[in-house]
Amino acid sequence: MTSPNETTAPVGDADFQRLAEFAQLVTSAQDALSDDMVNRIASTFSEGITMLDRLTRNEGLTHLLRELDRVENQQFLIALSNAFTQASRELASSPPAAGGITGLLRLMSDPGVQEGMRLMAIVGAHMSNSLREVHRRGL
Amino acid sequence: MRILVVGGGTAGTIVANNLARRLSAETRRGKARITMLSASDRHMYQPGLLYVAFGQMTPDQLYRDQASLLESNIDFHVDPVTEFMLDQNKVRTQSGKVHEYDTLVIATGSRMVPEEIPGMNEGAEFFYTEASAVKLYKKLREFQGGKVAVAVGVPHKCPIAPVEVMFSLHDYFKARGIRDKVHLKYHYPINRIHTIENVAKWAKPEFDRIGVEYETLFNIKEVDGKNKLLKSEEGTEYQYDLLIVIPQHRGMEVVEQNKLGPGGWIPTDRYSLKMNGHDNVYVVGDTTNLPVSKTGSAAHFQAEVIAENIASIVKVGEPVRDYDGKVYCFIEAGHDRATYAMFNYQNPPDLKPPSKPMHWFKLSYNQMYWTSVRGLL
Amino acid sequence: MSDTKVIDARNTFCPGPLMELITHMRLAQVGDVVELLSTDSGSATDIPEWAKKVGHEMMGIEQQGDTWHLKVRKAK
Repeated sequence: MTSPNETTAPVGDADFQRLAEFAQLVTSAQDALSDDMVNRIASTFSEGITMLDRLTRNEGLTHLLRELDRVENQQFLIALSNAFTQASRELASSPPAAGGITGLLRLMSDPGVQEGMRLMAIVGAHMSNSLREVHRRGL
Repeated sequence: MRILVVGGGTAGTIVANNLARRLSAETRRGKARITMLSASDRHMYQPGLLYVAFGQMTPDQLYRDQASLLESNIDFHVDPVTEFMLDQNKVRTQSGKVHEYDTLVIATGSRMVPEEIPGMNEGAEFFYTEASAVKLYKKLREFQGGKVAVAVGVPHKCPIAPVEVMFSLHDYFKARGIRDKVHLKYHYPINRIHTIENVAKWAKPEFDRIGVEYETLFNIKEVDGKNKLLKSEEGTEYQYDLLIVIPQHRGMEVVEQNKLGPGGWIPTDRYSLKMNGHDNVYVVGDTTNLPVSKTGSAAHFQAEVIAENIASIVKVGEPVRDYDGKVYCFIEAGHDRATYAMFNYQNPPDLKPPSKPMHWFKLSYNQMYWTSVRGLL
Repeated sequence: MSDTKVIDARNTFCPGPLMELITHMRLAQVGDVVELLSTDSGSATDIPEWAKKVGHEMMGIEQQGDTWHLKVRKAK
C-alpha cells in the first residue's frame, strides 16, 4: 500500500522555477519581436513552404535525391569532386596544347585519356538508353 | 471533365489550385481539365487595404501576379465572362470566346456601390478599393483635428471592418499626438455596436475606454457633402469634418446583367454550395446569397469543400462533404493586440481577450495568405 | 402586386438575421413583404425595433418550434 506522497513525482519548487523562467523567456521574446520581424519571419516561412512544395513535387528532383543515396552514387560523387581538384592542379602546371593532328594522336595514346574517354562513353551510353526508356514509358 | 472557374479572387484561386493538386494525375492523362477566367492578371490581398489607408502598407504590397499563384495544370486566361448560358453549359467572354464546361464554379465576388446613396460618392471617403484607400491615407495625413464619422451600409464584405477602423483611427491619431483634437463617432445600422453579439459586448466597453462615441440604429439615407451632414433613415443627422463609409455592396455587374440573382447574390444551397436549380454549378465566396459573412475566410473554407467534392465526383462519382458554415476572422483590436471570431452554422463565436501573439498571428497571416491561396495552407 | 420573399437566416451568426433582413428589404420594392426565419431569440425584439425606427411595417411575428417567422412590409 503506497502512501499518497509516493505515487507520482511531486511538482517541486524546481519545476515552478523552470516554468517561471520559461514564462520570462516568452515575455522577453514578445518584447523583442517587432512587427517588421514578424512580417519577415512569416514571409520567409511562407516562401519557404512554397518552394519546398515545388521541390518535393518535382519528380525528377526527388528521383535524383533517392538515387544519390545509393553507395555507387556516393562513390561517383566523391570521385568526381576528387577529380576536379586533381584536374585543377594538373592543368595549372601543364603547358598549353600544341594543336594539330600530331598533338591529338599523342593525347589519344595517353592511358589516362583513354580511361577518361571510356568513362564518358559508358556514362553517355547509359544516359542515352535511360532517356529513351523514360520517353517510351512516360513519367 | 471540363471544370471552369470564373473569378480569380480568394475563392476562385483556392478552388482551382486545390482541384489542380487533387486532379494532377487526371489532368495529365486528359481525364480532367481546369480552366480559370479572370478580369485581372493580378491578385489583390483585400485585407491589406485597411493597412494602406493607415500608411502601414504600400499599394504594391497588395498584389501578386495571378499566374504565379496558379498550378501549372490550370489553363488561365485574363478574359472576363460577359454572358452566362447555364442551360447550354457555356459562357461567353469579353474577347468573344465561348467556353463549354461540364462543371462551373462562379467566384466573381462583390463590389461596393456607394453611388446608390445620394451624395455618398461626393461626400465620403472609403478604403475598399486601392484608389480610395490611398485617397483616405492622404486625407488622414492632412487632418489636423475635428469630427471623424464612420458609417456602415448593408450588406458589406468583411463585417468586422467597422470595429477595426475605430481602433485604427484611435491608434493613428494617438501616434500623431492629436487624439485629443479628434472626436470619433461610430454609426451602425442595428440596435447594437456590432452584428455579432459577443463582438458588440466586447467592443462597447472598449469604445468607452478609448473615447469613441457611438450611435446605433443608424441606417444611412444620404450624405450632404456640401454641408458635411450625414443623414439617417431614422431622421437623425451628424455634422462631420471627415466621413469614412463602408458602403453597401452588390454582386458583380455580370451576375446582375445575366439575371443570376437579385442584387448580384446568386441563390445557393448552404450545404452543398450548388446554385439553386443547377446541379453542375457551384457558387463560392461573396457572390452567394447565403446568410454567411462575406469574408476571405468563408471563401477559403467553402472553396475547400467545393474542390474536394468536384474532385471526388471526378474520381468516384459522388461528393463527400458539406459546408458547415465555418468562418474564422481575425479582429485587430488596436495597440498591437488582436483576437479572433470563429463560428459555423452550429456554434456562435466566443471571443478570447485580445493578445499580442494573436496580433502577430494576423501579421503572419498577411504573408501566409499567398501560401494559402496556392492551396498549401 | 406585392411579393413575399422568404429569407432563411436560421443558424447564422454573422452577419446575422437582422442584417440579412436589411439586405433584402433594400432589394425589395415598396409594398413587398419579406419573411425572415431566425433561430435567434433576440430577433423577436430586434426586428420590430428596427422596423419601427426606420419606418417599415411589422406584419407578424410567429414562433414555430425554435424558429421565429417575422414578416416585415417595405413601407417606403
